[in-house]
Amino acid sequence: MGVEDQLGITVRREADRVVIDLDGELDMASAPFLQSALDGAEIEPETMVVLDLQSLQFIDSTGLRAILSLRDQCRERAQQFAVTRGSPQVQRLLDITGVSEHLQTPTA
Amino acid sequence: MTEKAPPRDIAVELLVEAGAVMASSLDLATTMQQVAQLTVPRLADLCTIDLCDDAGGAIREVAVASADVGLAHDLEAMRRRHPLDPDGEHPVARVIASGEPMLLAEMNDVLMRSFAQGSEHARFMIEHRYRSVAMAPLVARGRTLGALSVLRLGDCEPYCGEDLDLACELARRAALAIDNARLYSEVRQVEQRLAAILVNLAEAITLMDAQGRMVFANQAAAELLQASSPEELMRARPGSIMERFLVLDEHGRELALDQMPGRRLFKGERPQPLLVRNIVRATGEERWLIVRSSPVTDPESGRVLFAVNVFENITEVKRAQLAESFMAEASRVLASSMDYSDTLQGVARLAVPQIADGCAVDVVNEHGEIERVAIYHRDPAMVALARRLDRGYRPAPGDPAGVPEVIRSGRPRLYAEVDPDALAAYATDNEHLELLQGIGARSVIIAPLAAPARTLGAVTLICSDSGRRFSHADLGLAVRLARRAGTAVESARLYTERNRIAHVLGAALLPESLPAVPGVQIEALYRAAGELNDVGGDFYDVLPYGVDRWLLVIGDVCGKGPRAAGVTALARHTLRAAAMLGQTPTGMLGTLHRALRSQPMGADLCTASLVTLRHAGTGQPAQLTVTLAGHPPPLVIDESGQATQVGRPGTLLGVIDPIDVAEVETQLRPGETLLLYTDGLPEAGRSDHRLGEQELLALCAEAPGLDLAAMLARIEQMALRQAQGMLRDDIALLAVRLC
Repeated sequence: MGVEDQLGITVRREADRVVIDLDGELDMASAPFLQSALDGAEIEPETMVVLDLQSLQFIDSTGLRAILSLRDQCRERAQQFAVTRGSPQVQRLLDITGVSEHLQTPTA
Repeated sequence: MTEKAPPRDIAVELLVEAGAVMASSLDLATTMQQVAQLTVPRLADLCTIDLCDDAGGAIREVAVASADVGLAHDLEAMRRRHPLDPDGEHPVARVIASGEPMLLAEMNDVLMRSFAQGSEHARFMIEHRYRSVAMAPLVARGRTLGALSVLRLGDCEPYCGEDLDLACELARRAALAIDNARLYSEVRQVEQRLAAILVNLAEAITLMDAQGRMVFANQAAAELLQASSPEELMRARPGSIMERFLVLDEHGRELALDQMPGRRLFKGERPQPLLVRNIVRATGEERWLIVRSSPVTDPESGRVLFAVNVFENITEVKRAQLAESFMAEASRVLASSMDYSDTLQGVARLAVPQIADGCAVDVVNEHGEIERVAIYHRDPAMVALARRLDRGYRPAPGDPAGVPEVIRSGRPRLYAEVDPDALAAYATDNEHLELLQGIGARSVIIAPLAAPARTLGAVTLICSDSGRRFSHADLGLAVRLARRAGTAVESARLYTERNRIAHVLGAALLPESLPAVPGVQIEALYRAAGELNDVGGDFYDVLPYGVDRWLLVIGDVCGKGPRAAGVTALARHTLRAAAMLGQTPTGMLGTLHRALRSQPMGADLCTASLVTLRHAGTGQPAQLTVTLAGHPPPLVIDESGQATQVGRPGTLLGVIDPIDVAEVETQLRPGETLLLYTDGLPEAGRSDHRLGEQELLALCAEAPGLDLAAMLARIEQMALRQAQGMLRDDIALLAVRLC
């Protein structure tokens, strides 16, 4: 099973935001692909970027770092960054590490 | 009625005698009493001197004189019962308040009642027939200190202007005398109070004047400054005490006398506390001191009169801190390359001058010969000399002493003070002895390069020109360093490149052994996920932390491989050093967080869990505090197998700033088990077949029936089964059971 199969990334544009949908596992092997997806999406400044974690089954500390890195990059580009709730395992890691308090959830 | 002598003669006579009295003694009360006495009966029937405490303060009578002793006594008693009100109408109070003299040539009852302090006072004045009074303020340096009052009673010659002038003249001189006496007395009181406090303090304190003389030193200072007594310090010529020491700053640069905080105070500066490395020239003993100096200033002029120097001896803590950071650096150097002669040379350079003046490493080669692989000294000329020595007089494996002996025995050697006779006996000929003397080693440590099964060589450290001598603390650090280096050499010979890195760094990640804590069982287990080359980022530690208190640490650095392992070494050693400095768990996590954020190459994340354990005694529960930074909460498993998570979630370290962590108090009762683990455990398995926390809690139900080691082994097996033999991430387990 190749790494591309472990993490599915879909980028879709909605009216007021760009949504990056993650499906599968975000870990040391697959995290670099998230960065590539963000780079490739060419998002304009002042657009909201939403990371959709509802289908994300697993995340480790490398994945966490990748998400925080995305948040910082969006901040630098004056883009709002928000993260949906993920599966119980994902939420558990976000809560234990205190990261969930620092991530916005998308409005509506 | 007094006999009327020519006024001018009386005046001169009085002033001369008063002058003599005032010059003779500095005891304030006696002097004033004598002055008051002099005016009776020449100038007055009754004389009082009143002083006030600071501006507008209470008025105290310090002298009363009268030909009639009974009157003087009664007046004193009455004044005690009815002290003068500084803001009242009494003429003395008004003279003090205004600083101006006053003459009441002829007083009557009505007048006296108007300013009397109550009816008893009025009756007193009337009964004793107060008639005429001249009051002069006592003024010195622009301040009114009180008043001198002369009184005539009954049928008398009323006072006139000339009498008032005389009283003022007398008062002026008395005021000067009082002022001087007060200053002297205040200084004496302060000195006495200070001496009483300082004598007993454990910290070394000295009081230094502008000329650099020590006017006071306590016993602790005498001991620190290598004097037989505080008196010896106080007798010493300014600057002569400091000559006993080599004083260096943190970076090893020599400090001059005028850079010391006490001296700088006198130059008008406000110096910060100064960390100094202080070496006793006579013995080579090294101490680390923090010197803090504060000024004692003259309240009037603001000039600095004295410097109070406090010397805090932080040698042990500083040594421990330096040792930890040195070991972390040395570990990195040793792991940086496959060529061990390169890395050992790097370590030798690192050791000089931080822990020694010179360092050499010898290794046993494949022919069994002892080969020099690294040499470094502060002085390049010494390096050349050492090379000549090595070429001409190579140690042979069979030699009775020195490097060969340490290699054979596997035991370290400390020669705190090299004995010239022993050196001469060691030398094989005159040239050998000359070369050895040229190196000038005063103090030597030889520590074995220890690999698990055998000794591969030795690290030699020498102190020569710096004046330092080695102690047992230095020996401890040298042994640790040599052991780490031994592992590096062993690994280089036995493993492939990638495995070697992991092996060396792995040694830095886990404690060499767990300490024995009375009344408590401790077990740990570490299971690496992948190949030896993919060393992960888990670490744990058990450290003493105060009296009867221990600190349990478990942590997890994000990532794998050499970079992560380097960060893991940093994390472990930073927490150890912070614990030794006595930081609180919150403080320690803050320190590590800042250390991670200041790494040059991007975010290094780390989670950690700190548990402090204070054991009270057999049968008593142990008090715990739990502080979490992004790490899974530890479990307390009670005697029935029920497991509870403890601690409050906290922010992980190294990326989000500021961190939010809290210390939560809880208890561990006898028979209960505390289990700390890293995330590799609940994460074991793939996708939806994860072990998860529920399974873990279920396993805990079995815990009380198993001994600790068996419990950890069971947990490990369970995780491996779940992961079908392939763990995703390393697992570290640390368990504590209270007996």
